[in-house]
Amino acid sequence: MNRRLTDAVESVRSAAERHADTGDRAAEFPVEAVSAMRATGVLGLPVPTDHGGLGGSVSDVVDVTLALGRVDMSVAMIFGMHCQQVLVVAKHGGQRLVDQVLPDIAAGEVYLASVTTEPGTGGHLLTSDSTTTLLDGGAVRIDREAPIVTGGRHADAFLVTVRAPDAQSPAQVSLVYAARDQVQADVCGGWDPLGMRATESVAMRLTGSVPAHQVIGADSYRRIATTMLAPVAHIVWSAAWLGTAVGAYGRVVRHVRDPAGRRQFDPSSDLLLHRLAATRARLDVVHALLRHTVRVFESGVDVAAGPVQMLLNTLKTQSADDCFSAAHELVELTGMRHGYLPDSSLGLERAFRDLRSASLNYGNDRLRLASGALALMDAGVHLA
Amino acid sequence: MNDEFLSLLRPFLRYAGDRPIRAETPLRDLGLDSMRTIELLFAIEETYEVIVPDGMLTDATFETTGSLWAALEQLCAPTLDRNAR
Repeated sequence: MNRRLTDAVESVRSAAERHADTGDRAAEFPVEAVSAMRATGVLGLPVPTDHGGLGGSVSDVVDVTLALGRVDMSVAMIFGMHCQQVLVVAKHGGQRLVDQVLPDIAAGEVYLASVTTEPGTGGHLLTSDSTTTLLDGGAVRIDREAPIVTGGRHADAFLVTVRAPDAQSPAQVSLVYAARDQVQADVCGGWDPLGMRATESVAMRLTGSVPAHQVIGADSYRRIATTMLAPVAHIVWSAAWLGTAVGAYGRVVRHVRDPAGRRQFDPSSDLLLHRLAATRARLDVVHALLRHTVRVFESGVDVAAGPVQMLLNTLKTQSADDCFSAAHELVELTGMRHGYLPDSSLGLERAFRDLRSASLNYGNDRLRLASGALALMDAGVHLA
Repeated sequence: MNDEFLSLLRPFLRYAGDRPIRAETPLRDLGLDSMRTIELLFAIEETYEVIVPDGMLTDATFETTGSLWAALEQLCAPTLDRNAR
């Protein structure tokens, strides 16, 4: 990160930190942190420079997501998933669409939400039961229910998976960019979950029509989903989870070294040192896996190839399990007062609840099924 | 492509219904996901008594009915030719 970006991220991080507890309690979107992203240009990080953005790579997005996760996992998820959507538009949108929307995103005017969940398919990206209709003049009519839209109430635009306009099966899917003023965006359900509360991921129904040039990847959606949408989701989610676990770990270490903490912990205790080392090892392993996966993703290999898909799935399942385990171990290490009570300044209780969602956020079980099938196709075990 | 091949294929294509399966239709659009791909692979290997080598287990092989048939022809051309349409 260069100096300008570091300062910008610091201002977002500080806004996120100030409001993390209230956002968590009220299950409300982090308006202040996202306003800071708008004002500092961070929201336009992945927009290419020729469209006025910071031209950030996936690696840059990971750096910022990690930094934000240290103070608030909801903010990190919101930022990471916005960037995922923007990267898809920038790479796969038609010229007219990118010229129309990227400058506004770069200027901080558009928080772009992802609409991929469906009542019938969960978060599965490759099928859709929704209906779209091709209207005269080429416009596309959307009618889409979505049980979970991260930050949906506050989004300025949506990137929506829908059944392709001329589809003969639910496996023919398209991606549609819809600005808030182009569609009726009704919130039709509340949000009162265990964790990730400030993502305010409400249920929505989107209806309306958009011009045909706002359809992305009419013929190539499957490739976009397997080489961009899902891989970047796994990468930014892992960064948000790792950031959260790392932030919690850092606060515990600082506490143990405090004069007050030293009354509770004996810093030379074998048990304490072993536990700190074991949890630190989890963080180092996930970090290494995350950085390796990003390098492979950015190296220009065929991301659709089985070994790369398995690596991306492993990143998701492994970081979900290990980051939650790290939070669990920190709760165990610090005990009832600092590990379990919500008013502890260590924030472990919130990190624990937030990270519990990781394995469920596109279910680890479903992803392992896919990886298992791919593993059977690779008897040569080609490691990516 | 012959009828035996098409009737072997159809149970793995949950969105094909009763519609004719054309050589150029993407198999993924007809519902062949990664789990069904592996099941289809085993069915092909058992039915035609072949082993599909690692190098052929690519997205390109399972892209369309036609590409899968072409791969199968490479592996066991003489047997298939008997019933080819």
